[in-house]
Amino acid sequence: MIQFQHVSKTYPPGLHALSDISFEIAKGEMVFLTGPSGAGKSTLLKLIFRAEEPSAGQILIDGKDITRLASRAVARLRRKIGLVFQEFKLLPELTALDNVALAAQVIGAAKNDSRTKAFALLRELGLHGRYDAKPMTLSGGEQQRVAIARALINQPMLFLADEPTGNLDAEAAHETMGHLLKIRDQGATIVIASHDLDMVNRYGTRVISLRHGELADDLRRVESGSAAS
Amino acid sequence: MKWPLVGFVLRRVGQSLWQLRWNHLLTATTMALTLSVFGAFMLLQTNLEHLLKNWGEQIQLTAYVAKDVGSSEMQNLLERVKALPEVERVALTSQEQAWREFRAALGEQSGLLDGLPRDVLPASLEIVLKPAERDGPLIEQFAVRLRQDKAIASVEFPQEWVDRLALIVLAVQWLKWACGGLLFLAAFFIVGNTVKLGLLARRDEIAIMQWVGASEALIQAPFVLEGLIQGLAAGALSLGALWGAFAALRGEMPTLAGFLAPLAQPQFFDRRNVALLLALGSILGAAASLFSLRRFTEKWLASH
Repeated sequence: MIQFQHVSKTYPPGLHALSDISFEIAKGEMVFLTGPSGAGKSTLLKLIFRAEEPSAGQILIDGKDITRLASRAVARLRRKIGLVFQEFKLLPELTALDNVALAAQVIGAAKNDSRTKAFALLRELGLHGRYDAKPMTLSGGEQQRVAIARALINQPMLFLADEPTGNLDAEAAHETMGHLLKIRDQGATIVIASHDLDMVNRYGTRVISLRHGELADDLRRVESGSAAS
Repeated sequence: MKWPLVGFVLRRVGQSLWQLRWNHLLTATTMALTLSVFGAFMLLQTNLEHLLKNWGEQIQLTAYVAKDVGSSEMQNLLERVKALPEVERVALTSQEQAWREFRAALGEQSGLLDGLPRDVLPASLEIVLKPAERDGPLIEQFAVRLRQDKAIASVEFPQEWVDRLALIVLAVQWLKWACGGLLFLAAFFIVGNTVKLGLLARRDEIAIMQWVGASEALIQAPFVLEGLIQGLAAGALSLGALWGAFAALRGEMPTLAGFLAPLAQPQFFDRRNVALLLALGSILGAAASLFSLRRFTEKWLASH
């Protein structure tokens, strides 16, 4: 599903954010990206959804090279990717329902259809009765569920989450992870950037570790619970 | 663009115009001020051209008829000159008429003419040229041709004024383009910066639209449409302000115009100029929005 081939990212005037990264993530996998702050986790996610271009190397998504894409092709690529952020990134002036529906409307869904879909997703994520609430009146866990619903509305094949539990209490964090596992079980590929080791140890079946922009480890957890390289 | 997307764009524009109404008002007012200055130049130019046109109509050539030309031959000369393609109208002043006018002009001093024969002054043709022929070199060429007619003794025309008129027309043309160009450039950047404020207020919305795969055209369309509406509103505002200033100054125009007052009939914009100012506002608003948006999204996306 995702292939990184000797990918590097350097910012002027010579700051190496990522150096010679290579790995492959299969369809339906749930992968944790870990590492200390500044290790390159967010940069790696940005390269996948093409907010950044690599300085060297190749990135393939579903077999297609996304290294050099025209803006239209970038927009098409992003329609296949669901994004969730630590800060939720909801529009404060829109209701929960409209925040979710917006993602479908901007790619051409009719207003009523998108609202029906958004309604169903919010209900599925346990937000019935909160459809008309503005983000400021929702708890952190509820806001993250709205963000997940927004990421899911266009049925993405790939789901990227940057510190999705970073602003949540333990209960809301486990609830959010439960929803992500469900999405994985439905066939989507999930990449989660997190430095929360408890979360990684509890849910990570595969853990890619970055340190100073380099690939430090790529561990796969076997069913018994131990980890193997 | 698909119909649901057109509906989406119109809804976003409506929401934005209402939610950021003070920001939009500020942008429209800034544009209106700039357009008012530009419009004032246009208005000045319109009135100056009108003044020059009227003034130009006063410029005429005087062709003095040779002494030995009889009255029937004089009528033939009048018909010949009338038939020339450059001539708009021509009037014959007979020797008798010239004498009477001269006496009247001298008033109390008319006794000086006593003893002089009444045919001392030559008959003349007062010629007014068509507007397209009132250019300095053209008038001179026409005068040379007239002088070749044996029935004409001499031709006079106010060369100095013709030259000055040509110079004023040229200066107005240059002023229009120089000031217009500079003002437009300044307005473009002023408006661009004001638009940036609006973009900053909506940066999260832009980012989210980008992340969920909205096309560049869809992201830009509401902003460009808003810019266009703002520009149109600014054009209307500036027209209102200019009309107010024009109405207030109209009464003062004869004083301001001095000796040219009889020729200065103040005029406001015609329909073409009203449409031009509204179109300029719309284009300015839409283009400045698009320019700011492109720069903003490039820089912003690169830094997030």
